[in-house]
Parts: sequence; C-alpha cells; structure tokens
Amino acid sequence: MWQIMWLFSLLPDWFYHLITIAGVVGVIAAWVLKFIPFISTYRLPIQVGSIIAVLFGVWMEGGIVNEAKWQARVKELEEKVAVAEAQSKEENVKIVTKVVTKTQIVKVRGNDIVKYVDREIVKYDTKFAPGGICEIPKEFIKAHNDSAEVPK
Amino acid sequence: MNLLKLFVLAIFIILAFLATGCSTVVPVTVKFPEVPERLLEKCPQLKKLEEEAKLSDISKTVSNNYTTYYECAVKNDGWIEWYQVQKQIFENVK
Repeated sequence: MWQIMWLFSLLPDWFYHLITIAGVVGVIAAWVLKFIPFISTYRLPIQVGSIIAVLFGVWMEGGIVNEAKWQARVKELEEKVAVAEAQSKEENVKIVTKVVTKTQIVKVRGNDIVKYVDREIVKYDTKFAPGGICEIPKEFIKAHNDSAEVPK
Repeated sequence: MNLLKLFVLAIFIILAFLATGCSTVVPVTVKFPEVPERLLEKCPQLKKLEEEAKLSDISKTVSNNYTTYYECAVKNDGWIEWYQVQKQIFENVK
C-alpha cells in the first residue's frame, strides 16, 4: 500500500487542492444547477464523482498537513541532535583535558617518589642486600610478584 | 443497487488508504557518541621484582605500580564521567 502512497506523494500539493476544489464545485453544481441540461442529464455520475473527489481530496489534504507537521518535527529533532553532538564533542575535550592533567599530576608525583627513593632509600640497600643483616626473603619477592601478576 | 455497490467500494478504498497511516519510518538517527582516544588506551601491566632486588628496587617498583594504578584510575573516572555526561546530553534530545 505504501507504494500507492509513494506514487501519490510524487504529485504536487496543488493537484490535491485542485481535486478538493473541483469536488466541492461538482457537488454544489449537481445540487444547485439542476436546470442546466448537461448537469441534469449526468447528475448522478457528477454527484458520485464529486463526492469521491471531495473524500479523496480531503483525505490527501489531511495527509499533506500531517506530513508537513512531521517534517517540521523531524527538522526540529535533527537540530537538537546536531546540538547534542556538538555538546558531546565539547564535553569530550573537557574530559580529555581533565584526564591528561590528572595523569600528569600522578606521573610527577611518581617521579618525585622515585627521586626520593634514589636519594634516601638507597642508603639502606647494603643492609637489606642478599646475605646482609636484614636480607629480604625470596618469599617476599614472590608474594609481591604474584600480586602484580595479571589475573587469568 | 449499483449505487450501494459503488458506495461500499468507495468505503473500502478509503479504509485501505487509512490503513497506510500505520506504516512508520524513522527519519532521524542518532549516532553513538564518539569516545576520546585517550580513554581507549589499555591499562599497562604492573611491574615485577627481580630475584636479587635491592630495597630501593622494591621501593621503586612498588611506587611505579601505585603510579600505574592511579593513572588507570584516572582513566576509569574519565569513563564514568564520559558516560554520565553523554547520557545527560542524549536524554535531553526529545
């Protein structure tokens, strides 16, 4: 059925306005101008044809108005989607900036701690070296490495 | 009788036309929002200690691993914020 509607949509709107007007004129003519010989002869076909034309025309008029309403709604939504997409991109930039800044802070702090280790903790390396007074047990290394291992 | 048949036919055609109103299409599509490349980076693996690690090596490795964790946490927080913001934006499109 949509194919028929698609075919109808190919015709310009004024065509349906014309059908509606012609239908209304036909109905009035068949009713009022009975005294004209041509109309009195073909009164019934004119009446039927005009009524069908009015019904079809009014239905198509409704369709045209409805289509216009939905097209306006589509346009409005497209505009809103475009605004939302632009907003989304803006927010992405803000989030990335925040992530980069925070990551930089974390990195700097990590580097500061490593510098502190190189300056202060190295002094105790010999004390904790293998065979030293406080030798770090292998079990400690194993426990640490097991914790750092990616879970499978 | 012929007029009645014509009337029934006209009603049938009108109803058939009205039924076409039930078909709908979706003319507006919303694309899934883009995710920043930065958030798509995977978290690196944690560093391990060598067998003969010195105290300073242990301290540095632990510190580096904490740094790695916090870098990853920042990205995770970024994902949470991204989701909340995008949800808010696209819920407003009505």
